[in-house]
Amino acid sequence: MESSLQSAGLLEQMKLHLSTDAGKEITKKIGLVYQLNIAPKKIGVDEEIFVVDLKQGKVTKGPYNGKPDATFSFTDKDFLSIATGKMNPQIAFIRGAMKIKGSISAAQKFTPEIFPKPSKL
Amino acid sequence: MAMRDLVTGGAACAVPGTAASSSNPFGALANAILGSSSKTQELKGLPGSAVNVPGPSSDFRTEAPLTTIPGLENEGQQHHQPVGQNYEFLAGFRTADHGVLADAWNEIHQPPALQTQGGKIEAQFQEFEQIYNRGANSILPPAWDGPPQGVLSRFLHSFVDSGRAGVPFRPAALPVLGLSEGDKQCIRDRSFIMAHHIFADKSEEYINAQVNALLHSLDIDGNERLRGPIRGSYPELEEYWTESQGALRSGMPSPADKWVSEFARQRENGDPEAWAHSFEQLHGTNGWASEFEHEQSQLASVGQVRGANMSHIAAMEQSRMLAHTLAQNTDPKFQNSKFLQFVSKMSRGELIVDENQIKPATGSLTDNWADEYQAQYNAGSSSWADQFVRQDLPQGTDKWVNEFVKENQQQGVDDQWVNEFSKLHVQDWAEEFGQQVAEGALGDSTADDWANTYENFLDEQLLASKQHSGASRGVYVFSDMNPYVGHPNPLREGQELFRKGLLSEAVLALEAEVLKNPDNAEGWRLLGITHAENDDDQQAIAAMMRAQEVDPTNLEVLLALGVSHTNELEQPEALRYLYKWLQNHPKYGVLATPELADSPYYGDVARLFNEAAQMSPEDADVHIVLGVLYNLSREYDKAIESFQTALNLKPRDYSLWNKLGATRANSIQSADAILAYQQALDLKPNYVRAWANMGISYANQGLYEQSIRYYVRALAMNPKADNAWQYLRISLSCASRNDMFEACDSRNLDILQKEFPL
Repeated sequence: MESSLQSAGLLEQMKLHLSTDAGKEITKKIGLVYQLNIAPKKIGVDEEIFVVDLKQGKVTKGPYNGKPDATFSFTDKDFLSIATGKMNPQIAFIRGAMKIKGSISAAQKFTPEIFPKPSKL
Repeated sequence: MAMRDLVTGGAACAVPGTAASSSNPFGALANAILGSSSKTQELKGLPGSAVNVPGPSSDFRTEAPLTTIPGLENEGQQHHQPVGQNYEFLAGFRTADHGVLADAWNEIHQPPALQTQGGKIEAQFQEFEQIYNRGANSILPPAWDGPPQGVLSRFLHSFVDSGRAGVPFRPAALPVLGLSEGDKQCIRDRSFIMAHHIFADKSEEYINAQVNALLHSLDIDGNERLRGPIRGSYPELEEYWTESQGALRSGMPSPADKWVSEFARQRENGDPEAWAHSFEQLHGTNGWASEFEHEQSQLASVGQVRGANMSHIAAMEQSRMLAHTLAQNTDPKFQNSKFLQFVSKMSRGELIVDENQIKPATGSLTDNWADEYQAQYNAGSSSWADQFVRQDLPQGTDKWVNEFVKENQQQGVDDQWVNEFSKLHVQDWAEEFGQQVAEGALGDSTADDWANTYENFLDEQLLASKQHSGASRGVYVFSDMNPYVGHPNPLREGQELFRKGLLSEAVLALEAEVLKNPDNAEGWRLLGITHAENDDDQQAIAAMMRAQEVDPTNLEVLLALGVSHTNELEQPEALRYLYKWLQNHPKYGVLATPELADSPYYGDVARLFNEAAQMSPEDADVHIVLGVLYNLSREYDKAIESFQTALNLKPRDYSLWNKLGATRANSIQSADAILAYQQALDLKPNYVRAWANMGISYANQGLYEQSIRYYVRALAMNPKADNAWQYLRISLSCASRNDMFEACDSRNLDILQKEFPL
């Protein structure tokens, strides 16, 4: 996945992670498709679109072919904060750091728990 | 009895039959003072620097910067004291530069008690002979009299010594030292942290037993946990206390301070920073807190109300009271002190605390909105949250939002959150939300959830002002209350502490050094490395950048910057620094072309590095850089290969094992990663980063219970590792240990360690 976003690194790791046992557990547990619109600086501007498909267990770049269960829009830094547990997704939502479209119940399952954490060199 | 016999535990000694100095009190003392016999090698191997200490050894060599490595062959061998070497260095000791060693002696013996300032070493030996002859089981003479601070510091030193010598510490009967509750709290916290460092390779029970022995002698209850000087009977006050701590961070020594020095530093050199300690001693940490308590009981009606501005008001209130208290002290030192002025400014609202930095206040702080909010909230049933819940949701949302927006416009408030919130097309969001609700997508409980979430949000606002803010990237944040400021040679102290693996302490000492000499590249560099090992890449980057400013060609700094940026997923920056490494390298600089420097393209850089590797395959560092590069491009197999090549050349480099582990982990070979981390930890037991990485590897495999234990262990060594706190919380949630959330949120290591030992 070619990208200049910091988030791309994490999503690459997610891609690998989904092929592990732990990753397969996640697909079993959630079974939803999320689309992430990630912008470098400001929401909605120069977005890169990724799809975290927790039904089939894969991560791809580009809009989803079909209707995702929930679509999120945030900035690069905010997505990373949420995925690493620095920022609570509900809080992010209230502050407008994260926009949601689609099913709220699906959105509620989007938590830091599903993401693998990066290890530090 | 000859000096040498004393130290080397000769036949005439009272404790034969055991390893030379491990149970010989005098030997242990000598070791503590001069370092273990392997000290000379330790000094030689200090990461990246050529050490110039006129030490007792005659075989010290200057190392080329590239070949020195963080961490040493002899790192783990502090307890092996071959007799011959003691003899050797004592001989050297006699002939060595008395000045330096006199300093070392002085650090152990506080001037008031023994008058060793510039004293002759022979005289000191004599004294020790006498003391030893008096016969004692404890490591230092049972002369537990003298000024309380002197006694305390000797006692605490003996604890440290016993730890280093591997001898279980004996509780001793001490005279009443007059420790206040705050002091005891401080000692207790620090003892646990220090004990964890000193006894990193021992079991949890051993650590606890040692610390309890220490605390028992000092008459401190090891189990009782007080939160600040305020007792638990004032819960709201406690909250205010923690808020104000976040806002002011004054008067309450943080656990990271070196406790021995704190108590020992009676010297008032007219050093402006020493006032803080003398203030504490004059007033006691209880002094202004009890005054504060009194005032607070009058403010107690505020109750649960919080808000970003409330914490400003609170901060102002408290600073007013603090300023008042300080002003009442007629000592001119206080009147003129910068701190008093600072506090006055805070109380007048000229300065505000914003995101963990002090800024001059912009705009008004009159906080009408906060007052009104408070009034509204106190009115109970009219609180908007209740209104929200009771009203019919779709219309309710719009109404509330409109009300709120109107209010906002009337007040012209300077509140950050409110501005942000009103700027975001509130109407759109509300409509969407209303729609969702109308569609019945929300469950019955979501209205409550929403209100709860809002409360949590307000909590977060508070927390955000206390936490290390990501917004201040690249700016180094110094610790408050640094006991090493004023130390005669903080750089050396920092290096020693780093050697011993006391990373958080080393940070403080090194900060003192760079405050004193901002152009000391070595100080900044070591500070950066220490932060990285303590698992704080942000501070590491900030420190390394300063090092780079002072010395733009230092290769270790450039590599470290490359690594930290890689960890922060900042690819372009990482690439730039790794390329600079190449450019500045005496051997490979020729390969680098200047036009690549500004925006290096990954492919080119990789190619050049491979050329370099071919030029000299025996150079471990080239392989290390290559390994980092491949991590950037996620070519993990190649990265692993490079690191393995480097490890063949440098098998005892703990940081290299960690890199190998992290690469494995990121390429989802978590089980193998753990093996590599264990190698790293064998070499350096206090390597916080490796502990945290182990936690991550377990968590990524879904082994949450295990991961919790490792995170807790990492946090016990460095309670400031924010990443680890966040990951801990996630693991707790995954392991369905919500009962421990509160302990985690309040960063209560005691509970967590008891619940999740390793």
